[in-house]
Amino acid sequence: MNSAPARWLGAVVWALSWPLMLLLDGHVDLASLAQVLILAAALAGVWLSPIPSMLACAAAVLAFNFFFVPPRGTFTVDVHQHALLLITMLAVSWIVSLLMSRQRQLACAERLHALRAEQLQGLGDTLRDAHDPRDRGAQLQGMLSELVGAPAALLMVVQPSRIANEQPSFIQLGEVDDDERAGLGLTQLQGRAMGPGTGRHEEQAAWYLPLRGRQSSFGAALLRLPALPTDASTVRGHAQALCDQMGLAIERALAAETAAAAREEAQAQNLRNTLLMAISHDYRTPLATIMSSASSLHDQADRLSIEQRRRLAATIVDEADQLARLTANTLQLARLDMPGVVLRRDWESVEEIVGAVVRRVRQRAPAQRVKLRLEPGLPLLYCDAVLLVQMLENLVDNALRYGGEGAPVEVLARRAGDQVLLAVRDRGPGVAPAWRDRIFDVFQRGDAAQALPASADTSAHRGAGVGLAMCRAVARAHGGELRLRARSHGGSSFECALPVVDPPAPEPETAGQERRLPG
Amino acid sequence: MSLCVLLVEDDRELRSTLREALVVEGYRVLAAASLADADCLLTHAETQGGIDLVLLDLGLPDGDGEALLSALRRGRCTAPVIVISARHCDDPKIRLLDAGADDYLVKPFGLGELLARMRVALRHRGTALQPAITRYEHGGLRIDLVAHRVSLAGAEVHLTPTEFKLLARLVRQAGQVVTHRQLLADVWGAEFTEHTHYLRLYMAQLRAKLEAEPADPQRLLTEPGVGYRLAEPAA
Repeated sequence: MNSAPARWLGAVVWALSWPLMLLLDGHVDLASLAQVLILAAALAGVWLSPIPSMLACAAAVLAFNFFFVPPRGTFTVDVHQHALLLITMLAVSWIVSLLMSRQRQLACAERLHALRAEQLQGLGDTLRDAHDPRDRGAQLQGMLSELVGAPAALLMVVQPSRIANEQPSFIQLGEVDDDERAGLGLTQLQGRAMGPGTGRHEEQAAWYLPLRGRQSSFGAALLRLPALPTDASTVRGHAQALCDQMGLAIERALAAETAAAAREEAQAQNLRNTLLMAISHDYRTPLATIMSSASSLHDQADRLSIEQRRRLAATIVDEADQLARLTANTLQLARLDMPGVVLRRDWESVEEIVGAVVRRVRQRAPAQRVKLRLEPGLPLLYCDAVLLVQMLENLVDNALRYGGEGAPVEVLARRAGDQVLLAVRDRGPGVAPAWRDRIFDVFQRGDAAQALPASADTSAHRGAGVGLAMCRAVARAHGGELRLRARSHGGSSFECALPVVDPPAPEPETAGQERRLPG
Repeated sequence: MSLCVLLVEDDRELRSTLREALVVEGYRVLAAASLADADCLLTHAETQGGIDLVLLDLGLPDGDGEALLSALRRGRCTAPVIVISARHCDDPKIRLLDAGADDYLVKPFGLGELLARMRVALRHRGTALQPAITRYEHGGLRIDLVAHRVSLAGAEVHLTPTEFKLLARLVRQAGQVVTHRQLLADVWGAEFTEHTHYLRLYMAQLRAKLEAEPADPQRLLTEPGVGYRLAEPAA
């Protein structure tokens, strides 16, 4: 791992040591001069690899002998006086060189290790952030190719086999021939590595590594080996760790997909059940009434008085109207239950919404029965007006129908902290405590008919189930909640709390700047 | 000669029921089940005095009602168009109103409602050729656009210029719905069509001045999610 400039530094150290020794020559004794050489050997050992370093040391000791050891200018050595010094010098400088290079190797390995750990963690983070980890396959492929110095290939599971003998569907990155494709498939299936050092198919000139998850493997990688790396097992270990990151990520993604699909399926199933219950329970009665009235008009027209015919027609109109509202509620409930529903929100005035509701309701009920109590200065709501009108209309309709014959119904709106409270109150018999929590999800439970208390007038309650479920869905879609509260002196209060959002900036030209019209 | 109505509706039962009901009311009815039928009838009717009113269903088998509306307006046909929409909260309805349709009805609707809307639309058609409506009366409310005068039960009401512009826009189409976008564009300007909150503010001010009980308006009516409607004038 020695780079050229580092080797050059080693040479510089040697080159500088000689003038220094020549300079010191004559001022210090021979042993001290030898220390300079040993120091140079140690320093140069930092940058030189072991063999050149040891050769340099040997050459230096020889030269030292030639230049400084008496008799100078010859390689002759006085055995008694200087042989030991020269041998010690050589031995010490070699040992220092060896130690130094060993140290350097260790540091190098440490750095590589840190780099790989970082790479592994980086890949892990990338995969975690990716919507689909398979989109990041190219990144893994690049890392593996770099690791072995040859183009790698990847096979990743897109759709696992759900039944035995079914081929899972894959995506493939990188070119492979038929044998390699078969090897990748086998590796994925068995979840075990192949190639040199793995104990399986040692003769291959490539590693086949599985992308392992916890349960099984979710693909395989092909690492072609132009030459087996020196530290093969470490490289393979790192490659396997990278592959396992991908395997785990794919496993997570597949699990999430399955869970989402199951959730959607359950929701759709739930919705279907809800709608079927609604249709079977709520729709049959008005349909039966329309059917009997219409067939009576059709079959007995000649024998009915004008008054009787008019009454039948009026019944049909009323029941059809009821059916229309029921349909609107059911459809709205279905829409709101769907995942990813988008509301048509705008800035709406509470006063206008309540006004529109009252206007509609009064077409069906005597005007004086509905009373309004609106706090002045209510903030604008950021909401879907059509939905809120539908919700309040349902609540007022219910109150008129079940709130006692001819008793007044109150629509109230006031601010409560950072919420606006819309309430519809009646003075009717109220709702039995056991029913208060369940009245909103009658059809969700599928036990509406059985759950009705014996005293309850089932025919009077028809339509309330879907209607109230729809009302609560509207409140929740707006980030609010709909609750039923029993009033202290009898009656029910349906209260919808909606969050207040900061209103937009007012109009730049304020009303105060406008001049009054000439009277 | 009786007024001629072009009814474009793909449902056979509803088409025949409406046709019969309209004939009983004294209209001459041309019924079409598709855009192609409607085109055919329109071309034919050109030679016989033209169409007085169009009832247009959305979502026809061979395209959307929008195509017919733009074809009508291109051909300089000024007959009012009432959109019949089965969809409760869909944008096409509002897009058509913005594109020049005169009013809308959501299915299912009563015959009385339909006839009332048709009467208003036909009255406005008359005024499209003559000078525009400049006077409005409803209960004790009198509005004279030319004289810039508004009075309630005989007493003068002072309106700010913006309030007056908003009211005037509604008076010009009294009895018909005017969409939020149309109001914002005509009163504030085309760049303000998203500023619905201006409308809420000024409508509240107008109601405070012109309605006995602003929360329960009798004249300045709200069409949730669509726009506003000034009640049909009445003496």
